[in-house]
Amino acid sequence: MKEIHYVMIKSMLVVSIGLTGCVNVAPWERGNLAKPQMALDPHPLQSEIQSHNYSSREAAPSHKSSTGGGGCGCY
Amino acid sequence: MIKKIRRVFFIALLLSLVATTTMAEHLDEISSACTLTTLDGAPAHNLKELKGKVIYMDFWASWCPPCVKSFPFLNELNHDLKDKGLQVIGINLDEKVSDAQEFLANHPVDFSIVADPSKQCAKGFEVMAMPTSYLIDRKGNIRHIHRGFRTGETEELRALIAQLVMENP
Amino acid sequence: MPKHHGSYHSTSDLKESPIKPKKTLQALTSAALVLPGLLLTSAHAADKDRINFQYSRYQEGERNLFGVPNNLKPISADVLHGSGSLSLTDRTKFFYSYTQDTWSGATPITIAPLAANSNNPVLRDNPFGGTTIVGASPLINRTVQLDHDLNPLRQDPRTGQITGQDSRSVMVLSSASPETRNQGNFGLSREWNEAAVNVGGGFSMERDYKSSFGSIGGRLDFNQKLTSLKFGSGYTHSEIGAILDHDASPYITKTAYARQIERKGGSEILRGDRQDWTANIGLTQILTKSALVDVSVGYTHSNGFMENPYKVMSVIFIDPVALNNNLATPISGDMRALIEQRPNIRNQLAFNTKYIQYIAPFDAALHLNYKFTLDDWGVNTNTFDANWVQPFGNEWTFTPRIRYYSQDAASFYQPYLFSRQTVQMNKFDAGKLPDNFSSDHRLAGFGALSGGATLNRRLSKGVNLEAGFEYYTRASAMQIGGGGGNSFADFDYYVASAALKLDMEGVDTSRPGAGNSSHNQHSAAHHQHRIPPAGIMFGHMLDKPGDFMMGYRLMLGRADGHMMHGSHKVSDPVIVEQGCSDTSPCRFTPTYMNMRMHMLDIMYAPTKWWNVMLMPTFMDMDMNLRRLNKAPPPVPGVHEHQGIAGHETGAVGDTYFSSLIKLISIPGHRVHMNLGFSAPTGKVDIELRRMAKVDGGLIHFGMQLGSGTWDFMPSLTYTGEKNRWSWGAQVSGVKRLEEKNKSGYRLGDLAQATTWGGYDLTRWLIASVRGAYTWQGAVQRDFDSFNARIGPMDFPANYGGQFWDIGLGMSAVIPGGRFAGNRLGFEWIQPVRNDFNGYQLDRKGMLSATWSYRF
Repeated sequence: MKEIHYVMIKSMLVVSIGLTGCVNVAPWERGNLAKPQMALDPHPLQSEIQSHNYSSREAAPSHKSSTGGGGCGCY
Repeated sequence: MIKKIRRVFFIALLLSLVATTTMAEHLDEISSACTLTTLDGAPAHNLKELKGKVIYMDFWASWCPPCVKSFPFLNELNHDLKDKGLQVIGINLDEKVSDAQEFLANHPVDFSIVADPSKQCAKGFEVMAMPTSYLIDRKGNIRHIHRGFRTGETEELRALIAQLVMENP
Repeated sequence: MPKHHGSYHSTSDLKESPIKPKKTLQALTSAALVLPGLLLTSAHAADKDRINFQYSRYQEGERNLFGVPNNLKPISADVLHGSGSLSLTDRTKFFYSYTQDTWSGATPITIAPLAANSNNPVLRDNPFGGTTIVGASPLINRTVQLDHDLNPLRQDPRTGQITGQDSRSVMVLSSASPETRNQGNFGLSREWNEAAVNVGGGFSMERDYKSSFGSIGGRLDFNQKLTSLKFGSGYTHSEIGAILDHDASPYITKTAYARQIERKGGSEILRGDRQDWTANIGLTQILTKSALVDVSVGYTHSNGFMENPYKVMSVIFIDPVALNNNLATPISGDMRALIEQRPNIRNQLAFNTKYIQYIAPFDAALHLNYKFTLDDWGVNTNTFDANWVQPFGNEWTFTPRIRYYSQDAASFYQPYLFSRQTVQMNKFDAGKLPDNFSSDHRLAGFGALSGGATLNRRLSKGVNLEAGFEYYTRASAMQIGGGGGNSFADFDYYVASAALKLDMEGVDTSRPGAGNSSHNQHSAAHHQHRIPPAGIMFGHMLDKPGDFMMGYRLMLGRADGHMMHGSHKVSDPVIVEQGCSDTSPCRFTPTYMNMRMHMLDIMYAPTKWWNVMLMPTFMDMDMNLRRLNKAPPPVPGVHEHQGIAGHETGAVGDTYFSSLIKLISIPGHRVHMNLGFSAPTGKVDIELRRMAKVDGGLIHFGMQLGSGTWDFMPSLTYTGEKNRWSWGAQVSGVKRLEEKNKSGYRLGDLAQATTWGGYDLTRWLIASVRGAYTWQGAVQRDFDSFNARIGPMDFPANYGGQFWDIGLGMSAVIPGGRFAGNRLGFEWIQPVRNDFNGYQLDRKGMLSATWSYRF
């Protein structure tokens, strides 16, 4: 079970890093990505409540990866 | 096997990061492929016609918050320096023209708004980020490329434009 | 884990006596697993400046006690949250947030065989026959009958006859009084074109757990921002000072922690500390015009005191000789309670993948998330969740979501333990027990399924309302790979929340001529009326129809020092004799009391002469008591206050709504009246926990959170201004509209007259001086259910009085620039003379702070 997990995770990481070279989205084609529903966290206040509640009832770590990325890609 | 693939991907990543392209330096190099239309699709400005004026060309889209923030400044520039030979052009790159039209209905502006439906202008000017503005002097040289927009940058831009306007063709 | 290993430990010889409930459980139970610093969410730096206010309520369902009668309330929490971001420069942002949770309710302290009957209902004979349940007492030192396979055996309570096997386990519950945790976070971020750096820190405090944390992180963009690499790390340091329940302590074996327990003021405090380091790295990659993926890896290393000091492990000691004889007679197991022991170190690794896809036909976005974690305690978890973010038009967004979670049990989790040794003269060999053991059901193997939705409505001018709801159910059977065998620990909860989100910048591209158009210019163009000092409520009106004003007000009040009667100090013996009643003299008196009131002001002007206002409030209070000199000695069966810990309450207070009507408005003078009402949304039935087999009863009038009645609050205000001077006066009152509230009493009416003068120190800063006279009536009628009557604060006649105060204030209006339109005010209200009804603690003053913003 653990081995499958490791392979899955590693391949996801490799694929995602690899994809960086293959993608072709021009800066002006990011209209859909800029929409609020496409944000990495569209409801940050809700996420915080949920995170807090789950952490107090479950034993999984609740780190939040730093936000950033995606979206309109504006400077 | 996996190690090899990984190495290839990392190299590809690095290459894409450091790849740079040579930037066009003069309007003439680009304007042949670039045809601007009005938002409704009718042909508009031919960039060659504008030689002799200082051109402030701003590529924008309705979904780009800094673009939207730059509009009051562009409006002001247009109002203040139009008579001195400044031409402000907002080139819309929305994929759906209706989005741009809806936006302009809510935020009307005085300066000229055109569209680039085939995106040839954007590609020709090598737009790499939204928004990007190009300052072109009276002789057609691209003097300044400004990426992004923050309200604190207006002073510097204004000074630069004023200087260009002072230059004689 | 404690330092002792393999040594002999002693335990108490007290058995089968009722355990007194523990206090201060919940807040630590949440904090011990949550590391506040690790939850930092920094808003995306490209967003507009915001301020958010949010309230949420968490409510659990009852735990399964297999039919044992119990009237303990399930766990609930009220959470108040405010946060926001502020642009200091074009590229630098400051983030801040404040959260306050108040928890209360019954929580499991251990797990025991059902046959041991540890959840003991406390019954009281009804005068009309039969019995009623008035509480429950956890019994954690018990004798359990077992067969030779160590299966617990059911015993008839009256005849003592063995009626059969019963292998079921049950959670043993204990109630707790409300506890409040406060947390503050701050952060700074700096944006470049393709990179960002952020730094943050904060603290979390509650009576028995204090944490401070810091973090740094950054982001690098590549590929024209199609790829973003993010990284961060953080550190948390926490100090635990758990006040062990004075009554429970004798029944709990804590020799393993003897070196960490400090005795202070009649209480035992278990001290520990803990450190957590965390690091994470992530990648966001745009895949197509309509899809992106986000992958991250995180590592956490924790060491120190990892236990929950209020949780105990039930250890059943069995005589090995009796076990090995070949008779069929049942064996007697001697069940004791030991504070749990967890490893000192924990390493956790988490992998998270998120995939977001735009669904064009619906203009919606599908968010899919998978998280896998593992740690060296054996707790491996998997989380799958999905959100569908669906906008409707320009104004509404509806987001349903679903989540499935599964975790494996920690290697040292056990519902309860057997130990094949007997306790000899209260000593046993700790070396024969496992190094680590915990019965905390949150370390067991289980699955959880939850579903909910969020609804967001955008009002005009950058105001958003958001409401969320979620239902969660934890089930041992839902664990991946088969059930965890602990369905007795299953429970469910729901959460409901409401939030108000304000965007501080409006984007306005109006024509040239209006200049650099934005709200800044607009509000500067308005004539800025000076608002009254911060301590005045309903003191000003909006002029322009369609204007909105949002504000936050904080009032901090304190009473401490001497006990007073009328306007004189009074000594303890006098209070004992005269402060309470003829039949029960006073035994305790308050030493201090702090009150914090948070209010959200929302004001709207439908017309030029009429405004409406809504003010939800949140109250929290804490206080402590001491025994009075010359008070009669403790009597068994009568409530006593023990130890050094005081009392806290905190939750939603009353909600005010009103209409303000402009009566006179001429240059230099304005008069308006306010017709206001108070809705009784604040609780008035908060109870103290049961102690020493005696009910706690309702907490005294001053610690209840609202009035409990509908109240009418009229006021009339006059303000004037000329050049740099401003002045005003207000008369106001509160009239209770009902005879009594849910708990049988009503607060006294109130009348106040106040007048002030202000001077403009600069164009934007005003200093003010104010005088106020307040008359307040005593509490009318009385509690209609049990109150322990231990001191003057429990008696209605000791409330109210006449008060003369002076207020000194400063307020600032930010005239232009980025923050134009924001107003801040502070006022310190100093009591000058008090004439208390009855016996009360001296008032020391109140600080009011307000912030408001006009749209």
